[in-house]
Amino acid sequence: MNNWKLKEIIVMSVLAVVFGIVYLAFLPVGKLLVSLLGPIGYDFIFGIWFIVSIIAAYIIRKPGAAFLSETIAATVEMLLGNAMGPIIIITGMIQGLGAEAAFAATRYKRYSLWVLMLAGIGAAIFSFVWGYFRSGFTALSTPYIVSMLVIRMISGAIIAGLIGKTISDSLAKTGVLSSFALGKQIRKERSVS
Amino acid sequence: MINVSELSLWFDGNDEKAIIQTLSFQLNKGEAMLLLGPSGSGKSTLTRCLNGIYPRELEGMLKGDIHIYDHSIREAHPGTISKQVGVVFQDPETQFCMLTVEDEIAFGLENIRTPSNEIEAKIDEALELVQLSSYKHASINTLSGGQKQKLALACVLALQPNYLVLDEPTANLDPKSTKEFIQTIRHVWTEQQIGLIVIEHQLEGWITFINRAFILSKTGKGIYDGPLVKLIETNREMLQQQGIRLPKITDLVLTATRQNKASYKKIPLSNEDVLSSVTMDASFLERNRVEIAKPQKKNVILSASDVNLYKNQQRILNQLTVRLYDQSFVAIVGPNGSGKTSMTRLLSGIDRPSNGDIRLYQRPLNEWQEKDVRKQIGYVFQNPEHQFITDTVYNEIAFSLRLGGEHRESVIQEQVQNTLSHCELQGLGHLHPYSLSQGQKRRLSVATMIVDDQQVLFLDEPTFGQDAASTAKIMDLLEQRHRQGTTIIMVTHDMDLVDKYADRVLVLEKGEIVADQSPDQLWKQEKSVIKRWHLDYPNRIQLKQQMEEDRHAFVSKST
Amino acid sequence: MRSFLNQLNPSLKAITVVLLVCLLTFVFDPFTPLIYCMFTVMVTIICGKVAWKWYTLYFSVIFLLSFGMLWTTIAFADQPTNPGVTMHILFWDLPKEDVTVAAALTLRMLAFASLSFMFIFTTNMVDFILSVMQQFKLPPKLAYGVLAGYRFLPLIKEELIQIRSAHRIRGIHRANGIKGSIQQYKRFAIPLLAGAIRKAERTAIAMESKGFNGDRDRTFYRQFTLKWKDWGFLGMMLIVFLITVLFSMKLGYFSWYKGQF
Repeated sequence: MNNWKLKEIIVMSVLAVVFGIVYLAFLPVGKLLVSLLGPIGYDFIFGIWFIVSIIAAYIIRKPGAAFLSETIAATVEMLLGNAMGPIIIITGMIQGLGAEAAFAATRYKRYSLWVLMLAGIGAAIFSFVWGYFRSGFTALSTPYIVSMLVIRMISGAIIAGLIGKTISDSLAKTGVLSSFALGKQIRKERSVS
Repeated sequence: MINVSELSLWFDGNDEKAIIQTLSFQLNKGEAMLLLGPSGSGKSTLTRCLNGIYPRELEGMLKGDIHIYDHSIREAHPGTISKQVGVVFQDPETQFCMLTVEDEIAFGLENIRTPSNEIEAKIDEALELVQLSSYKHASINTLSGGQKQKLALACVLALQPNYLVLDEPTANLDPKSTKEFIQTIRHVWTEQQIGLIVIEHQLEGWITFINRAFILSKTGKGIYDGPLVKLIETNREMLQQQGIRLPKITDLVLTATRQNKASYKKIPLSNEDVLSSVTMDASFLERNRVEIAKPQKKNVILSASDVNLYKNQQRILNQLTVRLYDQSFVAIVGPNGSGKTSMTRLLSGIDRPSNGDIRLYQRPLNEWQEKDVRKQIGYVFQNPEHQFITDTVYNEIAFSLRLGGEHRESVIQEQVQNTLSHCELQGLGHLHPYSLSQGQKRRLSVATMIVDDQQVLFLDEPTFGQDAASTAKIMDLLEQRHRQGTTIIMVTHDMDLVDKYADRVLVLEKGEIVADQSPDQLWKQEKSVIKRWHLDYPNRIQLKQQMEEDRHAFVSKST
Repeated sequence: MRSFLNQLNPSLKAITVVLLVCLLTFVFDPFTPLIYCMFTVMVTIICGKVAWKWYTLYFSVIFLLSFGMLWTTIAFADQPTNPGVTMHILFWDLPKEDVTVAAALTLRMLAFASLSFMFIFTTNMVDFILSVMQQFKLPPKLAYGVLAGYRFLPLIKEELIQIRSAHRIRGIHRANGIKGSIQQYKRFAIPLLAGAIRKAERTAIAMESKGFNGDRDRTFYRQFTLKWKDWGFLGMMLIVFLITVLFSMKLGYFSWYKGQF
């Protein structure tokens, strides 16, 4: 934690608070999709629940950003009244680890679109394994389970990776990120060109 | 003592332009000084140097040094400086990390390792000093802006610093809280014998007990260090150039003097000074505003009858009945929480009333298409950023025009350019709205609301937190619109603005309109009534009253 | 007794809850979680000072949701190994195996919820974070960073309402299609996030100027400790869990979470 600046920590936790609210707001949407399409309904929009880890990591670019932000977002979700209570924190940690794994694989050096989408996929896989273990997908048929996984991975790549990047980039354009890694990189690129 | 020596500072990526240039000054414990300068003169940067956040957190370069007693800010261990120098910042919302008042004060004490069993006594002492004792267990969210600033003050006082730096502490407060806060500071300063640096762009209130001024130029250079009064007497232009606002009373007397309607022995810095040292021609204090030719017949644009609004079982507005006429300039005033903003939000169709009837051009508002309402009514929010939705200033203005789909791009371009220059934003079209200065943002949000030639414009405290120059610009802009026939309805706390611009004032108290009259009539109200409504007389009226009292006293003395 | 739960050490209470949830995960019959859920609710009622109105509301929502879950699990169930064995519910004949699995899952979720609510409704969140810092060495930088962020919650809600009406004034209405809604969300997100980030930076400066440097070496105004009653509570919850399991084994209901993968 020592190489983190306090403002980076607070910005990360504020992002987590904002997306904690977003996460909770999308639960009913998920529930609706489930009642229409069955358990697979969730997976179409599952990427939403990974987005803060990608945004925080992309903006701050320090080891732990993805994991911590997702964990805090889950904590906020719990505080706001997610029924799963403390379990949701563990879910958050596991999803965060999934995204973190992708960034760690590049040794926290690369933050291209592909890496971000990979992080989304990583979160999808980790969360799927956890979900499989915990909420008993066992009762479902194998092809169904496989298609759930695939859809969740795509959702992670598109919603978390792609949209996460677009949001962060538009945010950088406003200039508020100028003292964070993403803002600095953009400034560098501009002064080169 | 604080010793700033040859301090210069640059930010990364901006190597040519120094934020602060070779700044030097000293301040002893027990002394006070005003650090004045326009926005962008590096005042806040200097604050961060003074309490040791820079150079540690600085992304840039620092030359020169600051010593606080024997400690250089370059070597200070994080946390040691804060024992010496406490800071109160501008924004009341962002100075806290805990939820309750006592926890927040405890946070600072824990940081400097105050033994656990001594903390509570120190919390009580600090709260006592700022008169917040009864709020010890309160949640910070329930405090008003003024109380939050006092809490921020208590937090640093608890650490018993030798110096206090206040970084525009009243910029986000209404006039009443501002007065109270300055009084508290004065009290603390005389009680505690600490060194005081007040960073400001206006002098009102401070000038009565702080004599020394240090002026920073736009380029971050120190251009004056000495008695403030002398500067006002000899080089007022310099203050004006740097966008520093004189006390209103001083400004008034000086303007009168320029027009040969007053003379003074000593420059008045507060209303009390005026009597002893100023002679003034009473005619100068008459209301002096250019009347706009009004149409004979007044047309009702907006009307509300028996409108009520409840939120969480609380009554926000009660039996509101009002008519607004075209081409008028209406000010809405009253204490915080009296329903001013709620009222404008209802009238402009943003919120719906719980019951009652609101009509735009005789037709009930809820029968209107939303997009047609927007063509008639504009609304400028307190925080302009909330209204921005595109990436550039140009697109921001063009957006409203494109929305209708009825204009060709060439027409749009022309209209956008006109609006830009109208709002003094020319040449900024390519910038991101967020990167503008506070004043520019505000004018941009006005620009987006007038580009479609809306007939009614609501503004929620448009001059809030703006410096003198920016306030003048925005009021000029509104005045111009008004001349062209737009109805302006403005929520404000600034009675001088009301006096100068409005032709009608609505006073709200506890959700009811308690007065609806012209400014001149309002100023005739009894002092006790004005006070109950948390209002104040504008300066010209205060002066007039004082001069009359004085004459009265003089007459009764001589008979 | 009425506020026994509220006075427990928050972080050990959280660990107790998480531990029990993990244990319950290994159980795969409807009976055990049902009993344990009832026990937890009872403990909450007897030993906790709780905002009952909200507690009931939250529980009713979970109750409805779990019914939905029961239904979808049955509807989308895997081919049962014993399709012949069915049971009659209202108008349907359903494979008994599917119904049992679905009921097990549903009741397990209810048991999770009862434990979670026992924690949420008896714990002050600031205390929780302070206690994690004091008992379990959460770095102060992170702890106070999170608290500072948490303070933003009401501010953010307020901002959201403001932004929404500000946008309406600009003439933005309902979005059409997926692309439109994404655009719409982005328009909301940017001012909200930009404002939040700027505020976060200011808060960081304010905290540092009050001498905060993230050192672990600090004093505490509100001190949290682990007392025997905290461990006692953990022990009691575990023992009752064990008894429940033994009891349901004895009655022949019990089933481990095993071959169902």
